[in-house]
Amino acid sequence: MALKAFSQEWMDAWLKSIQTSQEYKEIAKEWEGSVSIIVNPDPSKGIPEPIYMWTDYWHGEAKDFHYCDKAKAESANFVMSGEYIRWKQVAKKELDSTKALMQGKLKLKGDLTYVVKHVKTVNKVVDLLAALDTVFPDD
Amino acid sequence: MAYDQDLEFIYYGPTRVVFGVGSSREVEVEMSSLGCDRAVVMTDPGIIKAGLLDGVKDTLGKKCVGVFSDIPQDTGVGIVNRAADYAKECGANIIISLGGGSVIDTAKNVCIILKEGGRCEDWQGLGMLSGPVTPHIVIPTTAGTGSEVTFATVLFDETKGQKVLTNEMFNAPRVAILDPKMTEKLPPLLTAGTGMDAMCHAVESLHSLQHEPIADGLAIHAIRLLSRNLPACVDDGSDLSARGQVQIAALLAGWAFGNALVGVVHAMAHSIGAIARVPHGIANGILLPHCMDFNLEDAVEGYGMVAEGFGVRDRGMDSLTAARESIKAMKAFTKRIKHPQKLSGVGVKEADIARASELCMSDGSILNNPKMIIDSSQVLEIYKKAF
Repeated sequence: MALKAFSQEWMDAWLKSIQTSQEYKEIAKEWEGSVSIIVNPDPSKGIPEPIYMWTDYWHGEAKDFHYCDKAKAESANFVMSGEYIRWKQVAKKELDSTKALMQGKLKLKGDLTYVVKHVKTVNKVVDLLAALDTVFPDD
Repeated sequence: MAYDQDLEFIYYGPTRVVFGVGSSREVEVEMSSLGCDRAVVMTDPGIIKAGLLDGVKDTLGKKCVGVFSDIPQDTGVGIVNRAADYAKECGANIIISLGGGSVIDTAKNVCIILKEGGRCEDWQGLGMLSGPVTPHIVIPTTAGTGSEVTFATVLFDETKGQKVLTNEMFNAPRVAILDPKMTEKLPPLLTAGTGMDAMCHAVESLHSLQHEPIADGLAIHAIRLLSRNLPACVDDGSDLSARGQVQIAALLAGWAFGNALVGVVHAMAHSIGAIARVPHGIANGILLPHCMDFNLEDAVEGYGMVAEGFGVRDRGMDSLTAARESIKAMKAFTKRIKHPQKLSGVGVKEADIARASELCMSDGSILNNPKMIIDSSQVLEIYKKAF
């Protein structure tokens, strides 16, 4: 059954898929730090308020995925923000996340050199997200 | 060149361009048209020594409220913070940069701090600005960086020992004033090195994974202008006609790579520059032909366009042959302009290239390279060939 995008169940399923991926454990063994995801509001697409999500990773382990408030989101090691439509494209693998950053379609607050060095980790996390059976608010 | 049906891109190039011999005298008019009346000029000691600051200061008159000139070859986070403090103390409402890439990139980051506050290190990331920054007019004194029209900057981060990129749509300079007189006194080696920086921008934008038709067109014409005019500038620095065309080429290549981005050549040049302090343009010029050899199979179409720019693609020539011809042309061109050929000849030690190979893997430019680079050993092999 498809999971509703940006729901806690969806985040839980994403977390579980990362935790059970042996490939992720290997690729991400040097990654340290939290990543928050901010989805800008778009009432016409069913996103009336901004969505703040907290995800946390440590040496091949995914620790904790949950909603948070704006202040906590902005305190993450890496803060990624963007329009709903961009996040949907990323989650469906229609848009490469690093390309989106370079093109200004998504924003990043944090150390770009670290992200580049660990780009395989980033790509694997997105691959696992894209593999989820997801229904989006405007589908 | 065929483009896929699903081609999609965003092109952005908002900078107003003023060109002509003596056009630096337009700076006050351009500044006033932006509604500004308190300029701090950012420059470097070499520019002052060359006498290039005097005319600009005279033109600005009382509207010049300060000059910050403590900017070295590779600018950094600490320098930006000091420059921003100075500009704030002066009450600047516009920054005028008079210099090469290091000066321009310092000024761009100062403009962010003046508008948004904080320190330079607070603005690490991509796309973080909320709106246009403090106005910035650029008068380049080299022809290569293209930074006069891009929204990217490169800074040396003293804490990381690495050059870091910023990319902010809102940080494109408002006006670029290209005055060929400003590059007239550049010595041949600096002319060749900065010119190869422009050439590298053009070639890298053509082979970038994010290349697109507008940037491609700009890049091909940049190569055409460089191949015809850079040798003349090296031979006779006072040839203002050639100087002007090379300035235009650098600007076109700036627009091209500002949108299509750059690849492994820049990642490697940034890294060896951070470690061995090789001037950026010279590092690019040495590495470019070797990186083209490395990328060849994955950049056939792009290098076919490089061959068109060089005028070495005969009618009916297939793309692979044209791509090979472009590499031959590039090697011959760097020799023609008496550009350094080896990293070992510009102060790089063998131990430096191993360190640079590792550093290179965290440079954002590497993501756009046509041939995927998954291991630093691939980069090390290129460095060894260029050593």
